[in-house]
Amino acid sequence: MRRVLVLAAVAAIAFPAPVAAAVSVAVDRTTITRAIGHTFSFRSTITNHGSAPAASLVAHLNVVSLHGGTYVDPEDWSSHRTRYLAPIPGGGSTTIEWRMQAVNSGDFGVYVAVLPQSGAPQPPVTSPTVRVEVAKRRTLDSGGILPLALGMPLALGLLMLGLRLSRRQADGPGA
Amino acid sequence: MASVARARPRPAWPIVAGQELRDLWLGGRGLPLSLAFSALLSILSYLVATNRSLNFLEQHESVNLTLQVAIAVGAMLTLLAAADALSGERERGTLETLLLTPVSRLELTIGKLLGALTLWVAALLITMPYIWFLGRGIGIVGDALAVGALVGSLLAVFLASLGLLVSVFAGSNRVSLSLSLLVLLALFAPTQFPAGAQQGWAGELLQRLNPLTAGEHYVGKIVVDRHPWSDDVSWLASPLVAAVVFGLAALVAGARFIRLDGGPPG
Repeated sequence: MRRVLVLAAVAAIAFPAPVAAAVSVAVDRTTITRAIGHTFSFRSTITNHGSAPAASLVAHLNVVSLHGGTYVDPEDWSSHRTRYLAPIPGGGSTTIEWRMQAVNSGDFGVYVAVLPQSGAPQPPVTSPTVRVEVAKRRTLDSGGILPLALGMPLALGLLMLGLRLSRRQADGPGA
Repeated sequence: MASVARARPRPAWPIVAGQELRDLWLGGRGLPLSLAFSALLSILSYLVATNRSLNFLEQHESVNLTLQVAIAVGAMLTLLAAADALSGERERGTLETLLLTPVSRLELTIGKLLGALTLWVAALLITMPYIWFLGRGIGIVGDALAVGALVGSLLAVFLASLGLLVSVFAGSNRVSLSLSLLVLLALFAPTQFPAGAQQGWAGELLQRLNPLTAGEHYVGKIVVDRHPWSDDVSWLASPLVAAVVFGLAALVAGARFIRLDGGPPG
């Protein structure tokens, strides 16, 4: 019996339990509706269900378009997508707030994946998907602004110059 | 006894106003100020239209931002012109000649006030193409220009009257301009308060009492929130009262207290 226990202890040290077995990730909401350009945030809570501390974990935020045709660059959505977690004691949890900006319109899935920093070949633990619906807002079409932006001051400048010249001519050369 | 028909004397304020317009627009600061105003609106509208983060502004908000800047700066131009109107004449030594002409001081003040207000008219005309560009396609251009003209005119009358009032009593142009600008900055200060300070009954009261913040709030309600004009009309109370009270005060002060050396009445 003692032999079995020793073997089990050695196995536990040599082959640690996968992250999935001990850790879960929850989110505080599963649907977010925003207009394009607006910022939003949600919280994820990573809970350690085991009795031993869960150390050296990294949480990563991901964004994916739920429909084709929309190019998503997650860096545009959040500039702080990777968090290296402090050890979570057994039975404890840690909460992370993720601040994001809706940079594309459409339906997106956002989720948090937690994986060990060791890079062990095991599937990461993921949160439920947060569905983000981004409404299209009517923003300005910038085409054509340059002629107006340059033309108005230019026209006024020319008018001012013309008036000065005509006044100088009216006053005569000796004026 | 034969009655002698006397020709009613022609009012002199149009003549004063005409001379003011010539001084301001043909040889004075009218066109350079308008050019600077136009350059400001060009930069702002270019940024609003092309800058990535600013372009996240909803189109109504882009129109509102540009319109509010145009109203504030356009009204400020009238303040600058009016603050110079009498103290400038005094400093240049031309006030004595002006007072010797057969023009009543009231008419002189009216003419000066109208001359200063033409800067706002020019600012409004310059603003029109920018608002048209920024607001095209969403059916907001007409309302934006109309509410801009209404609120801007009230604020322009208020600020021009304020400037003229200060100019009546100021001994020098420097005093007149600096005092007027100080008051203007004080009026604009609440717009820089944190959002929390602008909420609650005290914050709203302060916004309502200040003609500048009340006027711009009303513009936002029409342009961004698309409220009917009558919904928030109470916000126009302080711009209207300020325009009437300061307009009358400037005319009374001009009629009674214009002196060669300036200084307080008494």
